[in-house]
Amino acid sequence: VTEQHPVVERYLNRLQEHLDKLTPEERKEVVNDIRSHLAESVAAGRTLDAALESLGPADELARAYAVELLINPRQVADAAVRRPSRVSRFLKVAGLAAILSIPTLVIVVTLFAVGVSFTVSGLAVFAAGLIAATGELPYWIQMDVPPIFAILLGPVLMAAGILALIGLGFYIRFVTRAMRAVLPKGEILPGRITT
Amino acid sequence: VSPSAPGEWTSQLRRGILELCILLVLRRNASYGYEIVTTFGGQGPLAAGENTVYPLLRRLKTEGFLETFAKDSPAGPPRQYYRLTSVGRRRLAVLEREWAEMVAAVDRYMDKGDAS
Repeated sequence: VTEQHPVVERYLNRLQEHLDKLTPEERKEVVNDIRSHLAESVAAGRTLDAALESLGPADELARAYAVELLINPRQVADAAVRRPSRVSRFLKVAGLAAILSIPTLVIVVTLFAVGVSFTVSGLAVFAAGLIAATGELPYWIQMDVPPIFAILLGPVLMAAGILALIGLGFYIRFVTRAMRAVLPKGEILPGRITT
Repeated sequence: VSPSAPGEWTSQLRRGILELCILLVLRRNASYGYEIVTTFGGQGPLAAGENTVYPLLRRLKTEGFLETFAKDSPAGPPRQYYRLTSVGRRRLAVLEREWAEMVAAVDRYMDKGDAS
């Protein structure tokens, strides 16, 4: 049985509709469990009809979940504890974004501007030095220093510019990692079967 | 209520015990829904249908006693494996002790009843 089997999909849709009291994540996991159950039942040699009959009507199965997950007092306590934690997680992300946004703007703009202009001008000074040393400079370039000075200064400026660009890369990676650490993670991780 | 049909009493009793048994089944190895459900299929006082076991698995997960991870299945959609968390292991130890004490206590009443 594939996921696209119309009878299975109809059953899972009905189940999902009746699970409206659960959170979206819980609903998705329940549907995954039942979908997998039906596939495994059929793979084990049962007919789809028998497997569905054994599960019972979708609305009754949904009610069994609702009873187990919502009427249980511990679950209510858990939900009360979990709700503010979701809010606080949002505040944490928002707070981090606010704290980081203005410095990030300044740092990114500065590093980018310094990086690009120093790299380009370093290249230009180096080229001008070379031309001055080997031949005639075009009339629109004025140079008051000996060519050797420009040839040496060019690479220094370029190195400073490239360093600024590398620093920009590091900073972006750092901010990305900080944001990701605060954001919620996926909970289903691949792992070993034995515990 | 017929005295020969324990129905409601048994089902009340079974709910709690089933929770202990699911934790026991998962003590050594992680297992997926279908495999767990078939463990409790068949006849006998602990027989429980899918519509009991699956919701219970889900509750044990929301309570933090079990966690899930996905694994490919030859049957089609990926299997959701359930395994004990460390909190679940502590919970299992508590339930085992409670169960032993409960059985011992009931046994004492049964002995008293026999003696009189």
